[in-house]
Amino acid sequence: MRPKQKIASVAHLRKVCFLNTEIGKTKVASYVLRRIFIGFLQAAGITLVVFFVIRSLPADPVARLVGFNSTPDVYNQAKASLGLDRTIWVQLGDFVGTDGSGVITGDLGKSWVTGSSVTSGVATTLPITLQLVLLSFVVAIAIAVPIGVATAKRPGGKLDKSVFGYGLFAGAQPEFWWALMFIFFFYFQLGIAPAPLGMLDPLMVAPDKITGFILIDSLLTGRVDAFFNALWHLWLPIMTLAFILSGPIIKMTRQSMARVLSSEFILYSRASGLSRKQIARSTLRASLPPILTLTGILFGFMLGGAVLIEQVFSLNGLGSYSIRAVLNLDYPAIQGTVLIITIISLIVYLILDLVLVFIDPRVKAQ
Amino acid sequence: MSKKLKALIIGFSLFFVTACSGGAESSGSGAISTSEIVSLSEDVPPGLDSDGPSASIPVTQMAIGNIMEPLVYYKDGAANATGVGLFDFNEFEGRLAESFTYDEATLTWTFKLRQGVVGCNDETFNADDVLYTFARAKSVSGSAPIGWFLSNVADIANFTAGVFDADAAVATAAKELGDEVTKVDDYTVTIKQAKPNKLLLPVLTIFGLNIFDKEGMEANATPEDPWAHEYSNNTNLPSFGAYCIDNWVKSDSMTLVANENYYAGAPSIKKVVWRKVPTSANRLAAVQTGQAQIVDKLTPSEFASLDGVEGVSVSAVTGNQNLFVHMNFLTKPFDNVLVRRAIASAIDYDKIIANGYFGKAQKWDSHMPSTYPGYKKADSPYTYDPEAAKALLAEAGYVDDGSLKLTYITELESTLGPIATQIRADLAAVGINIELDPIPQSQFGDRALVKRDLPFALNDNEKPIAVDSGYATLLFFVSAANGSLNNMVNYESTTVDDLYVQLKNEGDNTKRDALLAQVQETLMTDVTWVPVVEYQTQWAHSDKLSGIKWHPDNGIRFKDLSVASN
Amino acid sequence: MAKKSVKESAVFKKALWYHDRLLLAGVIIVSLALFLSVFGFMIAPYDPGTPVGPISQAPSSQHWFGTDSSGLDVFSRVITAPRIDVVLSVSAALLSGLFGTLIGLGTGFYEGRFSSLVMRISDVLQAFPIFILAMVLVALTGRNLVNLIFALTFLYTPIFVRLTRTEVLTQKTRTYVEAARATGNSEWRIALKHVLPNSLTPSLIQLSVTVGFGILLTAGLSFIGAGVRPPTPEWGLMIATSAPRLILGEWWSSLFPGIAVSLTVFGFAALGNALERRVGSA
Repeated sequence: MRPKQKIASVAHLRKVCFLNTEIGKTKVASYVLRRIFIGFLQAAGITLVVFFVIRSLPADPVARLVGFNSTPDVYNQAKASLGLDRTIWVQLGDFVGTDGSGVITGDLGKSWVTGSSVTSGVATTLPITLQLVLLSFVVAIAIAVPIGVATAKRPGGKLDKSVFGYGLFAGAQPEFWWALMFIFFFYFQLGIAPAPLGMLDPLMVAPDKITGFILIDSLLTGRVDAFFNALWHLWLPIMTLAFILSGPIIKMTRQSMARVLSSEFILYSRASGLSRKQIARSTLRASLPPILTLTGILFGFMLGGAVLIEQVFSLNGLGSYSIRAVLNLDYPAIQGTVLIITIISLIVYLILDLVLVFIDPRVKAQ
Repeated sequence: MSKKLKALIIGFSLFFVTACSGGAESSGSGAISTSEIVSLSEDVPPGLDSDGPSASIPVTQMAIGNIMEPLVYYKDGAANATGVGLFDFNEFEGRLAESFTYDEATLTWTFKLRQGVVGCNDETFNADDVLYTFARAKSVSGSAPIGWFLSNVADIANFTAGVFDADAAVATAAKELGDEVTKVDDYTVTIKQAKPNKLLLPVLTIFGLNIFDKEGMEANATPEDPWAHEYSNNTNLPSFGAYCIDNWVKSDSMTLVANENYYAGAPSIKKVVWRKVPTSANRLAAVQTGQAQIVDKLTPSEFASLDGVEGVSVSAVTGNQNLFVHMNFLTKPFDNVLVRRAIASAIDYDKIIANGYFGKAQKWDSHMPSTYPGYKKADSPYTYDPEAAKALLAEAGYVDDGSLKLTYITELESTLGPIATQIRADLAAVGINIELDPIPQSQFGDRALVKRDLPFALNDNEKPIAVDSGYATLLFFVSAANGSLNNMVNYESTTVDDLYVQLKNEGDNTKRDALLAQVQETLMTDVTWVPVVEYQTQWAHSDKLSGIKWHPDNGIRFKDLSVASN
Repeated sequence: MAKKSVKESAVFKKALWYHDRLLLAGVIIVSLALFLSVFGFMIAPYDPGTPVGPISQAPSSQHWFGTDSSGLDVFSRVITAPRIDVVLSVSAALLSGLFGTLIGLGTGFYEGRFSSLVMRISDVLQAFPIFILAMVLVALTGRNLVNLIFALTFLYTPIFVRLTRTEVLTQKTRTYVEAARATGNSEWRIALKHVLPNSLTPSLIQLSVTVGFGILLTAGLSFIGAGVRPPTPEWGLMIATSAPRLILGEWWSSLFPGIAVSLTVFGFAALGNALERRVGSA
C-alpha cells in the first residue's frame, strides 16, 4: 500500500500512476501528417471507384436531355455536349484536371441537370445538412450525456432501468417514420410545429449568404426574424434526429461511465482523497473515448442518412442533392458529392482520433 | 434532480418558446395580399435556356413561358365548369406580332411586329430580335437543339438536318441563317416554309421559339459562348414577357416581379414567390393553411380531400394529360394483336377512374388528346370485358409464364402505384400474371425513348408539345424509318405512314382532319397503345385567386391570375 | 464495507432481473418475427398483393388494420412482411458475418502491410455515405431481393471485420495461442481452430443488432424507392406508399407497419444487448 500522498491535481495523479506517457509534439505532428496522407489516398480511391462504377450503371443520362425528341442526330449532339463521346480515360483525365481544371484545382465539374457547377451545388446544400446534423448532435449530446452520467452513478435504479430501455429503443427506430408521425401529431393535430416546407416561411426573404449556414448568416446580417423563423422550422427535424441519436449515445455514456467508475483508476483517485469535482472531471475525461468514437461513427452515418429527414421536411440539403444526382444519373454531381461526403467523414474521424490521442494517454499514436 | 438537468430543461424551454414566438408571427397568417402570391411546385427551374440541359423539364418550360413572350398564341376560348379558361386551338392571335398574313403561293408568312414593346431592363423589341432568335436556334449551339427541332418540324425552309452533318464545312454552312427568316423593316419579318405545313403557327407558340432580346443576349455573350447559353441558362433571359426575375436560387426558389412595361398591360400580380416543395403532401398543407396561394401536381386523392375545405378551391380541366399502357411490338407476346386486344378488354376502366383518379378522369377513346385539333373518338372503343379477354387469349394460344413485368416511373408511385396494382389484379383475373417494376425516371426515359426496349409499361407523361394531332402522329405513330421521333412501341404500319405523308403538307383543314380520322381508326384496330384515361390537370388555390387558363405545357402564366380583395 | 457489498449485490441481482426481462422481450419479438416469416402467408386473412376491399378504409371488423390506397389489406401485409424483411436482413447479416469474420481473422492474425491495406479499405467503406452506396448498388443491379441482400452484405461486412480483428488482436497474445504453437500447430490451425472460436463472441452478438439495422436500411431504401418492388409486402415500402396519405387522415396504413418495424428492430437490438450482457463480458 502506497503511503498517502497529497495529490495536488489530476495531472499529478496521472504522473504518480504512471499513466502519463510522453507524447512528443513531433510524434503527434507526424501522426497527423500520415493520417492526412492516408486520408487523401482513401478519398482518391473512393472517387475512382465511384467514377468507374457509375459509368457502368444500366441507364443513359443522354435520354434525359433529349426529352421528347430523339433522332440520332440530336442524340449524338446531346451526347457530345455531355462529353460522353470521349473515351473513359479522357473523361477521367478531364475530371481529375489534367487539362488544367478538375478536382486538383477544386473544380468538380458541371452538373448535367442544373448546368451549374457541382461545387456551387454542394456549397449551397452542404451547410443545410451540416447545420441540421450538428445541431441534432448538440441537442442529443446535451440531453443524452447528462442522463447517461446520472444513471451511471446509480446502476440498477429505476431511472437507470427506464433510461436504458429508452436508449435501446431510440437507437433502433426508423427515423423517417417517426418524422412522419411527429409531423402528424405536432403539426396537423396540435399545430405547434410549422408545415414541413423547408427552412423558412415561403414569403420570408432569406438572409444574404455569407457562410451558407442560415442561422449564422441571419445573425450576422441582423435578421433576427429569419433566425427565429429558421429555428421554428428546424425544431421538429432536429428533435427527430436527436431522438434517434440520443439512444446509442445514452447507452454508450452509461456503459462507459459505469466502466470507468468501477475502474481501479477512479478507485485510486478516491482513495487518494481527490475532491469530487476533480474525480468527476477525470471520470468524464476517461469515459469520453468510446463516446467520441461512437459520435464519429454516427456522424458519418448521419451525413448520408439525414436524407430521409431532409426529404420529409423539404430541406434542400446534401442528401437530397446526391439522391437526385443518382436518380438522374448526373455523373459529375454524383462524383462530387461522394467525394465531399467522404472527405468530410475522414476529416471528422481524424479530428476525433486526434482528440482521443490528447485525452486518452492509453491510445498511442501509432 | 441534478442542477445540470434543471438547467437543460430551462434552456430547452426557453429555446422552444422563443422559436415558437418567432415562428408564430409569420405562420398561418392566412391573410393574403392582392398583389403578391406564393406558388409552390415540385421543382423550380434548374436552368432556363430553352436550348439547354433543362429544356425538357416542365417547370423550365413554364418559367420560360412567364418570362418570355411568343410571336403568336392561341385565341381565348370559353371557360369550363370550374372556371378554367380554355383556348381555341384552331384560332391564333398576335402577341409580339400584331398581325400576320400567309401567302400560299410563296409559302411565306409575313408578321407585322408590335411597336412599343419594352422588356424588363428597358429592352425594346424589333425585327432584329426575331432574327436573332431564329439564328440562335439554327446554330444548334446548346445542349439540346429544341429551337431547331421546332422549326424543322414546321418545315421552315433550310432548317435541315444538315446542321448535324459530320463534315464541319457542311454543318457550318447549314447553320447560317439565310433568307428563310428575313427582316423587311424594323417591324416586319417574313418566315418562309419549304412546304405547306399547318404546324408553323403552333410551333411559334411553344417555349422553344419565344423571342430573345438580341442586345441583352449579345451583351452577355463570350467568345467561347457566342449565343450566351451560360447566361441564359444560369442568370437571366433578356426578353419581353410579363415577368422579370428578381431572385433565383436554382432548384429552390424563384421570385418573379411584374414587368410594369408589359405591352398588354402590367399584370395584376406584382410579385410571385415560386418555391420548390418536392413533397405533394407539404404543398397541400401549405395551400390549406394559406401559406401558399396556388399549388400544382398534387395527387388525385389530395385534390379530392380539398372538397368543401374553406378558403381553398380546386380548378380542374381535361387538357392533354393521359394514361396509356405501352406494349412493345418487338416483344412477345405483344406482337400478337389478339393478346393486345385481350389486355385492352381486361382492364377495369371505371375502377381506375374511381380509385385512381377519384372521378377526375374520363375514359380515353383515341390515341390523340381530345382537346387537340384533329381528334376523333373511336367508333368502337375498348371496354372492360374479362370474358372476351379470356376468349381472345385462348384464341391467341397464350401461355402464361409469369415473366411479364409492368414498368412505371418509381417517382410516381403515389398515383401510379394503385393503378398498377389494380391492373395487375385485373390481368391476373384473366390469366396473365405479372410483376410490377417501378424504375427511376431517367432509366424509364432511356429505355422508352432511346433504347425502345421497354416491353410493357404504364405511361402517364406523354404530351405532344405542338397542339396538333398530325404532330402527335409524327411523334408517336409513324414508323421509325419514316422519321418518327418517339415511337416507343416500335409500331410499323404502312397505312399510317402513307396517311401521314398525305396529311403532313395538306393545306386544307377538312381533308387533313379526314386523314387524321383514318389514322386514329387504324391505331385503335391495331391496339398500338391501350389508351386508359385522360385525367384532369388540376390546381389547388386560394378561393380568392382566379383567372387560371389551361396552357398546353400545363404551366401557369401568372399574368392570367388575379386575387380578389374580398 | 460489508453493508455496501450487500446492497451492491441486491442491486446487481435486481439489474440482472431487469435485463432478463429485456432478454425475454427480445426473445419473444424475435420468435414472433421468425414465426411470421415462415407462417405469415398461411395465416393471413387476405392475399397481401391483391386489392381486396375499398381503398383507404379505416380499421374495421373485416380489415383489422384497414386498407391502403390500393385497396390492399394492411393487416395481411404487416404479418406477411417479415418473410421479406427478416429473411433479407438475416441472410445479409449471416453473410456479412461470415465474410467479415474470416477477413477480420485474416487481417488480425497476419498483421502486415496487406492487413493494413485491407483495414484502410474497410475504413474507407465505412466513411462512405451508406444510402448513396446502397442506392448506387441497387441501381446497378436492379431492385430484387438477391441484389438487396448483396448490397446489405457489402455494407455490413466492414463492421464484422473490425470487430473480429480487434478481438483477434487481443486473443493472439493469450497464452493458449503460445501453447498451441509450442505443440506444433500450423498457423492456419491455430487461427481457425483456436483463435476464431474465441473471437466470435462480439460478432455473434453483433449479428442480432445487424439484423435490426438491416431491416431499417431495407425500409429506408424502400422509402426512397430503391428497395423491394411493390406490391411486395415490406414494412418500409408500406410506410413509403402510405406516407403521402397521412396528411389526408389515413393514419392506419403507416402506423401499423411503423410499429412493426419499430418493435422488431428493438426486439433484435434488445436480444443482442442482453446476450452481450450475459455472454460478452466473459
